[in-house]
Amino acid sequence: MAEKIIAYRFDRLDQTLSQLNNENCVIIAGGTDVMVLHKSRRGVPPKIPKPIVFIDHLSELKRVYQNDKDLHIGACCTYSELLEDPFIPSPLKDAIKTIAAPAIRNRGTLGGNICNASPAGDTLPLLYIYNAKLLLRSVKGDRIVAISDFIQGPRRVQRDHNEILAEIILPSILEGGSHVVFEKVGNRNADAIAKVGFAGYIRLNGARIDDVRFAFGAVGPTMVRSMDIEKKLLGKTVPLAAADIAQIVAAFDKIIKPIDDQRSTALYRKTVALNLLRYFLSMKQYQPN
Amino acid sequence: MIKFTLNGRKVETDAPATARLLDLIREEHLLIGTKEGCGEGECGACSVFVNNLLQNSCLIPIGSIEGADIVTIEGIMETEQFKILDESYSIAGGVQCGYCIPGMVMASAALLTKNPNPSEAEIREGISGNLCRCTGYNMIVDAISKAAKKGDGLWQRK
Repeated sequence: MAEKIIAYRFDRLDQTLSQLNNENCVIIAGGTDVMVLHKSRRGVPPKIPKPIVFIDHLSELKRVYQNDKDLHIGACCTYSELLEDPFIPSPLKDAIKTIAAPAIRNRGTLGGNICNASPAGDTLPLLYIYNAKLLLRSVKGDRIVAISDFIQGPRRVQRDHNEILAEIILPSILEGGSHVVFEKVGNRNADAIAKVGFAGYIRLNGARIDDVRFAFGAVGPTMVRSMDIEKKLLGKTVPLAAADIAQIVAAFDKIIKPIDDQRSTALYRKTVALNLLRYFLSMKQYQPN
Repeated sequence: MIKFTLNGRKVETDAPATARLLDLIREEHLLIGTKEGCGEGECGACSVFVNNLLQNSCLIPIGSIEGADIVTIEGIMETEQFKILDESYSIAGGVQCGYCIPGMVMASAALLTKNPNPSEAEIREGISGNLCRCTGYNMIVDAISKAAKKGDGLWQRK
């Protein structure tokens, strides 16, 4: 135990924020990513290069509440807590059930999954299609940023060192009427890092498409989403014509550029991503869920 | 100084805040029922209860368990629930090399406490974070199903 490790654990969020304002720290919520990232030999504590601030016990970061049609989720809610929360819509719960396994869901937090900014982050495709906004808090006040602007690359987020991700805001999610599909492809049902992630969202007016969104995970440095491609489907009716489906698949074929790594190959990832898209677009009917 | 409860006993440590709960349990307290498998939260061999919730002790920096109630496999061995699991695992042939079993038993107990009459699918989901490299899953699932029947009514009692 040679090196001294500095760590803080304050009772309140405001004390935590003033410490972060004074010193550049590593923030630990559930720790399920940080502890693996900095893992040492057995018996040797992980070496984390900066002072540490623990935040997972802060009740200010665990609130879930409704504000008009928007849902606000405290960043330190664990997956298990979200599964038991009556405010969380069922498509989001169904997606969370496919993430990790009970023991990790009891520790891992939604805010942690975002700030870790893994290209394969499990919840990210879903948060992108929900147009999630992030509320960042510091001693200077709050600011709100879209998740697609916040996440800039693998493990790179637009967080100033004095800020904490306090809430995830899902705009208009409580309005209902949309059909959401979430698929994760991995080597194992539980505890796998995704080879491909997919989320699709559709809202219909009768048979006409009023709104449609797609996001792909683990096929690029950040989630792949294209508003331009989505727009091509607005006003079309379901079931979609084969030519429309082919046009959308071809458009994504051009912008999805996965890589080979230890988990999968670029070819497999692309094929599966486009198959998931085709499956979503080919559904005969969409039931609001 | 970090203070918490370990198997009902108040303990404290001056180990660094990033030390893994797993290392503290095994090396400082010599409770070696909790195993290290992957060390990355994928195998469940290090499962313990933190405030009654199943968690992987290899992923827990001790700084985040200040004031928490930690229970390891040793901490449940005197309970009626453990005795039923012990017997059911034996009858079903659920134990082969045994390395995964402390974690499996913790996951089994967590599942049955929450859901005393699980379906087979729910049992498989309950132990989905635990790997058995002898691949004796069917016997383990059978063991949990036997324990659910035998312990009817017992699981939700503390």
